[in-house]
Amino acid sequence: MDNELREGTELDVNLEEVGGVTVIVLSGEVDVYSAPKLRDTIRNLVEEGKYNLVVDLERVAFLDSTGLGVLVGGLKRVKPHQGDLGIICDQERILRIFRITGLTKVFPIYRTREELLASIEGA
Amino acid sequence: MGGEREVSFELEIPAKAEYVCVARLLAGSIARQMGFKEESIEDLKIAVSEMCTNAIIHTGGGNGEKPPISVRYLAGGDSLTVEVRDQGPGFDTGKVLGQEGTGLKGKGFGIPLIKSLVDEFRCESSPQSGTMVCITKFVRSGEQDD
Repeated sequence: MDNELREGTELDVNLEEVGGVTVIVLSGEVDVYSAPKLRDTIRNLVEEGKYNLVVDLERVAFLDSTGLGVLVGGLKRVKPHQGDLGIICDQERILRIFRITGLTKVFPIYRTREELLASIEGA
Repeated sequence: MGGEREVSFELEIPAKAEYVCVARLLAGSIARQMGFKEESIEDLKIAVSEMCTNAIIHTGGGNGEKPPISVRYLAGGDSLTVEVRDQGPGFDTGKVLGQEGTGLKGKGFGIPLIKSLVDEFRCESSPQSGTMVCITKFVRSGEQDD
């Protein structure tokens, strides 16, 4: 276990603006207890008119199907506004969950923040 | 952990979301003691989290206090079995367990995810006795793929 990843604790949510995209930076665990915090954050951003979102999972120690459900819900919220919801993640144990559930085909996935930036600049 | 002998642990958690991490972390600790690989420990933690989440969501209802969730860990020589029991209203296992749960149209990712992460999966449910979900993962699970 990476010591920098927090286990068994609450979820920290921070927001950053990167080239017209709102990056939701998560730190901690995303499960049935903490996922509502992420859901509320996405809901509030959409209500503020922010439809281009990226969720940074690089410092997430744990993610289960409740977290996946919130991300899918977020994607469904931004799509009608011609927006998108992407993921930043280079952790194999998290990416594996996306692969098993077929969600790698649904979310744009960036391995690093630099990859996201390159994508924005290339758009 | 205890050589070839089976060692069992029992945990009773309130049917509240904040206690799911307790059941999950205990699964991880037992699996680590047993010598599971790090990837398999993660698999078990996710599976236990899913099982407890389902139990909490489907337990009780109404205005009264929800009955607790029972989690039993059975550490055998070469496998860890985890059994989660709730006292909820039960469900039609044939209907629920057949759901696809992949992609954007997935009805629920939990059960398919559990099935893909463990070696054995069993579920029994009835209106009289609630629901019991039992999973087993072997210490050497997936080793042939390395």
